[in-house]
Amino acid sequence: MPLGAMRRQLVSKATHSARSAVVARRRWQSTVQVKKVTDDDIAQLAAKPLHPLTLTDLVQHGHPPLSASALFHSANFTLSILPSRLAHRIQSLRSLPFIVVANPHVSKIHNNYVHSLGTLLPYSEKRIESLEDEIEFTKVMADLVQIHSNTISILARGFLEARKYISPQEVTRFLDEHLRARIGTRLIAEQHIALHFSSKPHNDLSDSDIHDQDHSSYIGVIDTALKPADIIRSCEGMVGEICELRYGVRPTVVLNGEPETTFAHVPMHLEYIITELLKNAFRATIERGMEREPIEVTIAPAPEELNKTITNFDQGSVDAASESDRPAVSASGNIRLLERSTPGVTIRIRDRGGGISPENYAKLWDYGFTTFNEDQIDDSVSGGGNTDALSAISGVGGGSSLAGLGYGLPLGRAYAEYFGGGIAVQSLWGWGADVYLSLRGVGKIN
Amino acid sequence: MINICRRPSAKLSKPARCFRPYSLANGNIPPWRPSNVLDEWVQREAHPISLRQLTFFGRTLTESRLLSSANYVRLELPTRIAHRLRNMQTLPYSALTNEHISHVYEAYYRAFETFRKVPEVRTLDDNDRFCEVLKTTLKEHLTVIPRLAMGILEIQDSVSGDECDQFMNTLLRSRISRRVIAEQHLALNETFHSPWHFDGKKSGTAPEDEFVGEIFLKCNAKEIVEKCASRASELTRKAFGPDVALPKIILQGHLETTFPYIPSHLEYILGELLRNSIQAVVERRGAGRDVPPPIEVLICEAAQHVIIRVSDQGGGVDREILPYLWSFAKGPRRNKRLQNLGKVPRLAATMQELQIPPSSDPDSAEAGSSGEKFGSSLASLSGRRPDLRLGIGLPMSRIYAEYWAGSLELHSLEGYGCDAFLQISRLGNKNEVLSTRASMDAV
Repeated sequence: MPLGAMRRQLVSKATHSARSAVVARRRWQSTVQVKKVTDDDIAQLAAKPLHPLTLTDLVQHGHPPLSASALFHSANFTLSILPSRLAHRIQSLRSLPFIVVANPHVSKIHNNYVHSLGTLLPYSEKRIESLEDEIEFTKVMADLVQIHSNTISILARGFLEARKYISPQEVTRFLDEHLRARIGTRLIAEQHIALHFSSKPHNDLSDSDIHDQDHSSYIGVIDTALKPADIIRSCEGMVGEICELRYGVRPTVVLNGEPETTFAHVPMHLEYIITELLKNAFRATIERGMEREPIEVTIAPAPEELNKTITNFDQGSVDAASESDRPAVSASGNIRLLERSTPGVTIRIRDRGGGISPENYAKLWDYGFTTFNEDQIDDSVSGGGNTDALSAISGVGGGSSLAGLGYGLPLGRAYAEYFGGGIAVQSLWGWGADVYLSLRGVGKIN
Repeated sequence: MINICRRPSAKLSKPARCFRPYSLANGNIPPWRPSNVLDEWVQREAHPISLRQLTFFGRTLTESRLLSSANYVRLELPTRIAHRLRNMQTLPYSALTNEHISHVYEAYYRAFETFRKVPEVRTLDDNDRFCEVLKTTLKEHLTVIPRLAMGILEIQDSVSGDECDQFMNTLLRSRISRRVIAEQHLALNETFHSPWHFDGKKSGTAPEDEFVGEIFLKCNAKEIVEKCASRASELTRKAFGPDVALPKIILQGHLETTFPYIPSHLEYILGELLRNSIQAVVERRGAGRDVPPPIEVLICEAAQHVIIRVSDQGGGVDREILPYLWSFAKGPRRNKRLQNLGKVPRLAATMQELQIPPSSDPDSAEAGSSGEKFGSSLASLSGRRPDLRLGIGLPMSRIYAEYWAGSLELHSLEGYGCDAFLQISRLGNKNEVLSTRASMDAV
């Protein structure tokens, strides 16, 4: 079977529920209404302060299935915060140099955001109070999620092409903020969609193969009983199979600590992060010829603690190269943590892959921008040349072409930090690397 | 004199025994001295020395080399102390008049006065007299570290945590450098006067085996880890009783690795790390349970450096103290640390005894073999009981590690354990490679 097909199959196995949702969404796409967006609209919305979203906001409606009024409430709440978030993104894009935004890829993304804002403007005066309105609104959300699913790779190409006109530091700064904001925006939208699908009024209207498993531990996209060991094993399987195809060997993963640990988190996020980290570990191990040395993954649940607020800094030594000593809440209104403390998990991944050289270590958290030479860049830009199977798989949303652009680590860290966790990388140059992924649980939900 | 110093804080929440009032009656305020003498020395630039220069002196030791070493030290010490004195003078008044800080300030000033008055060293007799002065001053200053630590904890109201750390780091780095050049000269002096030395002879037999002053060119990580491990285990046994189940310490990796270092520094760092780990494991597991999980020490070498990783399952670092791990300005545990610092053996007075290692540690009579010849303050700190937690082990270890162009990092898996990473810059096996390393001497 050609590699591409196998890749898609493996990816879809890992992101089962996401795939089902995508199938449903595609049916609705073409029927969404769009209103023209004026500069005034954008200015007005961007002037509003961003609502500091908390996870309580996301789960305030309780366990699905939701009643109709709860669903309306969720829709109206989403409506109240999304437009200004999109407006902020548009403004942020518009403040980039003209010649960068004029690049066809960047320009496409800009237009996508304007389009999405246009789909929300018709609701600016209305509230959602009927089932038909709510279904319409959910279509709008699905449209939003679908259209923006490849933002990162498209932006990446755009910045690559425009690299002469913008410094790597500016790109990193822009992307750090933009991608973090994007995580939040998508989360709000996907949460509403998931709640919609798992609620009774709609189960009769749509196909019942949306739920093949009992998702009773789920609240929308959050799994309150997520078991990291399961995610690690499934990612191990997927990455391992690719390695076997490509290199003929496959490293093993040994799990220790407390593998039975569960906590509340967004499975898609965790899958993305773990896939990226395992990819790095596997590749390094194989290239060093150490595939008989297992990769050691330790799962360590944090002890429960009552009535404490946790910040990013509580993760311990933040590795200096990451410069992630920003305050936990940025101007773009990232999600703040629940006030009631949540049990968290630290996952340590140890490999014997020789470690990261000091030169590369300094660039670890850059968005792949600075580690390319001109030939590689031309290859990437023209879309061909990269036959590295491992680079070609990327997590959320299926096989997009983030191929080998070096976005895995910084993106993974953005996901981890989003809920107050983090990633720290310790390189033992000449031996291997230890990676510490710390995650805060996503909330105690009654 | 008008008593302008009232009890400074109306913050009644502090227990009186920890925070003393700044009244003239206690004589904490250092006497006024004319500042022009100090100004003169502050204006001089310190001359950093590279490791190459340090060892160069030791290679072919002649009388003239010995005397020029003496004169270098004679001028460097007061210059560097003057800079630090000026630092201290610019601290807020309420900070410098703290009992402990002013004690250190006075000690420094006395040393400054002593050194600046030493005349040029022209003969071996001059040198001998100079060496006596050096030895005495080194001994007197052995209690500086705990005193400074206590002072820092007490002046938190007048000086911010960050400023405190910066101040402490600068002071300690400078202190290490001064002691290194002083101890180096004393070691050279001893070599010169030893019965098997003759003028102009190249010292040592095989170049790899030698000490150059305090620097041991072939520190073997494995040996030092094993030595520190047994010492730390012994201390733990003394504190918790002979029946306590101690974790085993397992060594892995490149066990034959060697590199140049000052052994007492390395022993201090590894001693602190191992002590922390053993203590954490013992406290977490409690008495009479199953075999405690071992502590894993990994040694790995690359061309440019050696990394030592100490991994334990002691439960990790408490979240509430994590932000203060590397700071001398502790957070929630401030008072407890203050109390403990006051109990460190030989902290208060009787300096003379410090030539002899603390009696609680009989096998540190061998301290001389690892190069600690001139009374190491580190030894008195390391010999303390393990349950006497001072809160300075990690920040101090980091200063020592960084002094030699290395680093110290710690990752905590909350609820599980800790991994500490000590990175040591490696010079290669040939001494000539020393020149390629940038001068790391901090002034």
